[in-house]
Amino acid sequence: MSEPPRTVVDALEPWPDTVAWRPVSSKLIVIELINLAVWLAVLIAGLSVGWALGGQILWPIGITAVVLLGAWRALVAARAVRAWGYAERDKDLLVRHGLLVRHLSIVPYARMQYVDVTAGPLERAFGLATVQLHTAAAASDARIPGLPPEEASRLRDRLTALGEDRAEGL
Amino acid sequence: MSTAGFPQAGPDLETRQRLHPLSPLLNGAKSIVVIVAALSWQTFNQLGAAHFAAVVAVLAIGVVIFSVVGWWSTGYHVVGRELRIAEGLIWRRNRAIPLDRLQAVELRRPLLAQLTGLAELRLEVVGGGKTEAPLAYLTVQNATILRERLLALSGHAAAPDLPSAVPVAPDTPLFQVRNQDLLVSQLLTPQAFFLPIGIAWVATQFVMEGSWTFIGIASTVTAMAGVLLQPIRRVLRDWDFRLGRDRETRLVLHYGLLETRSQVVPPHRVQTVRVNWPLLWRPARWLNLRLDIAGYSLPEAGGDDKSSDRLMPVGDIAAARTLVAAALPGVDLTALATSPPPLRARWLHPVALRFYGAGLAPSVFVTRAGRVTREMTLVPYARIQSVRVVQGPLQRMLGLATVVADTAGGRAGMARDRDLAEAWALADELATRARQARDSIPPAVPTPPFVSAPPSVSAPPSVSAQPAAALPPAPPAPPAAPPTGAPVTPVDETFWQRPSQP
Repeated sequence: MSEPPRTVVDALEPWPDTVAWRPVSSKLIVIELINLAVWLAVLIAGLSVGWALGGQILWPIGITAVVLLGAWRALVAARAVRAWGYAERDKDLLVRHGLLVRHLSIVPYARMQYVDVTAGPLERAFGLATVQLHTAAAASDARIPGLPPEEASRLRDRLTALGEDRAEGL
Repeated sequence: MSTAGFPQAGPDLETRQRLHPLSPLLNGAKSIVVIVAALSWQTFNQLGAAHFAAVVAVLAIGVVIFSVVGWWSTGYHVVGRELRIAEGLIWRRNRAIPLDRLQAVELRRPLLAQLTGLAELRLEVVGGGKTEAPLAYLTVQNATILRERLLALSGHAAAPDLPSAVPVAPDTPLFQVRNQDLLVSQLLTPQAFFLPIGIAWVATQFVMEGSWTFIGIASTVTAMAGVLLQPIRRVLRDWDFRLGRDRETRLVLHYGLLETRSQVVPPHRVQTVRVNWPLLWRPARWLNLRLDIAGYSLPEAGGDDKSSDRLMPVGDIAAARTLVAAALPGVDLTALATSPPPLRARWLHPVALRFYGAGLAPSVFVTRAGRVTREMTLVPYARIQSVRVVQGPLQRMLGLATVVADTAGGRAGMARDRDLAEAWALADELATRARQARDSIPPAVPTPPFVSAPPSVSAPPSVSAQPAAALPPAPPAPPAAPPTGAPVTPVDETFWQRPSQP
């Protein structure tokens, strides 16, 4: 189709001129890497035990594959975290994430049913939290991980204040 | 937080009511049937007839006592804008249902209830995976009055005079399915076509084997029954389908043979309308309409015989047009234009590309999909919960993206494989229109009818090959977010402060 002269189309940056995307904390990269390392350690340990007991050629191949996959994930982790972004417009919240499958959600504040603020042990250790906005539709996902606590509580308060509910919710 | 001050009209709903005294028997009858089925033939053979009867009698008495206790401790009453239901003897449960959350009310009458003149009242509220509050059983008159009352309370913040004691005004009939049409339409389903093939296959089996064993026949019959039961169940469920509109433009549906259902749906509770055009129905030019209401169990969980999502079991395009206009005021089914995805999406849909499409009608978002069973989903802008743009790896290679408009009904309007720039424009436009639709229309009032030049009825929507008439041209992508910050209205209290449980 005839592309009009406008800014270059990038799937990660919709409406770059009107929407100020905010990134999530880069400490999330470290969390992702730790998560990945734990998983890798568990997998490799299991495979190594299998190798020691069985001794077939399949086991080392499996270990190599896991290591390669882990290395690739580690390389991508930084980009994956930078793919997360959110923007507060005056009537709705935009959240984008994903590298392989890219998602962009537009959730109006007025449709909000409730807001979750969660923080797992790793997130707490790094002083981060996750904010999730729930609507009546189960499919709409507006989850923002890797927010500093003050930003998380600010966002939560702002969302609840803006969630003007119209007596029906739907 | 009961907003008191409603006139004490009607029977005495403000005081605590019991269900009908016969309801424990009816409830018990169900359990007894289940128990007898569970005991099975084998037990009967082992015990002998007399003992078996004794066992059943003891169990039946137990069940009835249990049901009576349950009935005795169950009560309901209306407090302000809430329906409170108390039940349970040992584990007491008090439920308060805020009526402004009420989505639809259904009156069900299973066979036994029809014989005894009773009915079950089911309220649909968002949030429960299942029907939240079945009141089984009431007399038909009481159930009807209660339903009118609940709907009146649910409708507007300032409810007008409650019509509780008034006899229900006759509804204006809109549509009726002729039973022979229903039968024929269910014969034109894949299951029905399977029947002769199945019979032939079984017959050849027997001819080859040369013997008719009891087990063989029984297993065949059960296998066939599983397949064949569905059309039969649909016929039984949709028998004598009638749809009308009461004086407040709510849809009133009646259907069912063994179990009659009568459902009242306010039009602003309709989340989506789906139009289906199955392959086998095309010669007869028949369509099938369904509507989604928040609160009914999700399509995957409910199966299609449990959920009451019928808007039109079968009918032609003219009827469909009337019904769509009744369910979604201002929408003309035959005037909904859609535009197809860009041609390069054919790599993803080699066969069905031209049956995909999306369009922005004045008050609904239209999407189409499907080659064999063509379907069209209409999502009113005012019901959109969130808008998503999803792009998978293949789509990224082709520069495409899918736009999804989520609703609370479980089904979403999906515009598949649009050009990326167009997808963003579409998403932005949907978000803007959803906001405008919410802001401009008070939720309880239907949209003013959209007047359009009525096109000829002859053009079925699914073959519409109109160009991109309805979609906005992709480029503009108007910067949304008008600067006028709407005043933040006070948060509804019922939502935040769950009524305290007494």
